[in-house]
Amino acid sequence: MVSDEVLRELSDFIHHEARLCDESRYAEWEALWTDDGHYWVPRAADHDPEKQVSHINDNRRRIHTRVHQLLTGTRHSQVPPSPMRRVISGIVVEDIEGDDYLVGANFMLLELAVQSTHDLHLWGGRTTYRLRREGNRLLMALKKVVLVNADEPVPNLSFLI
Amino acid sequence: MRIEHAPPVDYDRLIKKDRIHSALYTDPAIFDEEMEKIFHHGWVFVGHDSEIPNPGDYVTRQVGYEPVIMSRAKTGKVHVIRNRCAHRGNKICTLDAGNEKVFACPYHGWVFDLDGKLLDTPQPDGYGPDFDKSANGMAPAAQVEVYRGFVFASLNHSGITLDQHLGRAKELLDRCCDLSPEGELDLTAGWLKHRFKANWKMLPENDCDGYHVDTTHSSFMTATDSQAIDLIQGKSDPVVRDWGNGHIEIDFAVAYRQRGNPFEWFGRMSPAKLPNYIAAMEARYGKEKAHHLFCSGPPHAIIFPNLFIGELNVVFYYPISANECVQLYTPMLLKGAPEVNKRAIHQTEGAVGPGSFLIPEDVIIAERNQAGLAARPEWLDLSRGLHREYQEDGLTVSHMSDETVNRAFYKRYKEMMQRNLQAAA
Repeated sequence: MVSDEVLRELSDFIHHEARLCDESRYAEWEALWTDDGHYWVPRAADHDPEKQVSHINDNRRRIHTRVHQLLTGTRHSQVPPSPMRRVISGIVVEDIEGDDYLVGANFMLLELAVQSTHDLHLWGGRTTYRLRREGNRLLMALKKVVLVNADEPVPNLSFLI
Repeated sequence: MRIEHAPPVDYDRLIKKDRIHSALYTDPAIFDEEMEKIFHHGWVFVGHDSEIPNPGDYVTRQVGYEPVIMSRAKTGKVHVIRNRCAHRGNKICTLDAGNEKVFACPYHGWVFDLDGKLLDTPQPDGYGPDFDKSANGMAPAAQVEVYRGFVFASLNHSGITLDQHLGRAKELLDRCCDLSPEGELDLTAGWLKHRFKANWKMLPENDCDGYHVDTTHSSFMTATDSQAIDLIQGKSDPVVRDWGNGHIEIDFAVAYRQRGNPFEWFGRMSPAKLPNYIAAMEARYGKEKAHHLFCSGPPHAIIFPNLFIGELNVVFYYPISANECVQLYTPMLLKGAPEVNKRAIHQTEGAVGPGSFLIPEDVIIAERNQAGLAARPEWLDLSRGLHREYQEDGLTVSHMSDETVNRAFYKRYKEMMQRNLQAAA
């Protein structure tokens, strides 16, 4: 669907975004978003977010609020930030719509809940990204994360997933 | 429940007027007794009838240690039955929700009606003439009652009616339903489920604790323009109120009404965004009563022991062990109010749930609290506001930061735990 060069560019973006999440580099992460960005963690892949409640369903304004809250230094559920590392695999371009690439990938994430229990949490699922070419760079218009256990009881999700 | 022959716990020693002992949060034997006396022999919130609108609809739930099914029979009646085959104990339904004509066990094929009655046993000649089908159903809860859509059950007989259990706190549920132009709620947007490692009682304590907000949630106050800021920082006068039987409330509405602005509780929503809702409410209630409802909003209250109404969020919890709990959240949708409901879903996402802006802090604090309980001295202070409580309309009321509500919760808790179930039976 795309050239090797474009696929490389898209996967580099995705790995960079993942690293900013892993390292809780909030402001740099926020700068990856388009003005209409949508950060979405539904309870099932096919849910209508206007009818079913989601874990996270941030419009661009709420993405800013989320980052602002994390940057206060008193978001206790992420003080200190969870040490994290994630593995992303199987990156595929699923569709192209104008300047947007819809890209899918699976992930596994280790998150250490260092704020309280020191439990090591294993998260996993599939992420869909809408990556948009604006000028000479890519930005993120959608990050939809469907957890394998999205509709099960999960621990705090206040880090960047 | 484990089979134990430990000496009975003396709750008079553990629960004082101004303090409680940390064993209440950590001792597995006390947890067992809570499950038996509060969750298996007392009224608990199970679900809402809007979750199962059609015959055959069901949801699965946990009440204490027991998995249950809340189902709607062909008659339209709501039932709460054990999720367990009467034959060998197989769990019948494993999904969160579904629709079935009957409940069929996948092990030997026993078939049960939607109300739990045994309908059929394959190869029935294997059971003799004394086999009593009526005694081999999926055992129903001893008491099931619905109040304005809220389904409550007591698995074994509680000794009191739901009306007696709710008492004056019915008013709190009325305040939710009355916000709908049709007088009814829809809890149909699904449940967010949140697991954490703290004792279940930390939740009701925290939910009606007006003292923690300024510190625990300071990051939220900084990052958002919350209507709560003025109230919490003492520029107005919310109160806490003991409704009796362990039902407790932070009454923000007192302060909202003093200020006279509609929808402060709804993130200070502009009335211009809700024209159809306002018209429908005024048509039902008249202008004056509608304005009163718009100013007051829903309550912020606990219905003992496991239901929390927090503005437009409905919350309940499953204890897992002395050290672990699951909390579930759904937006309170108002029938006939689509303008409110689409915003309510997004407010729930912002306020409660594992990824929200508020509850993750409460959870981390609860987990740290659980860890801290291991340290001595072993008492937790509950004395705040004892000197300034007062009576109003027959109920105990105090400043919103006072532990009047926690004391009220533990008063009911102690009554429940000191019951002698064998004598009652």
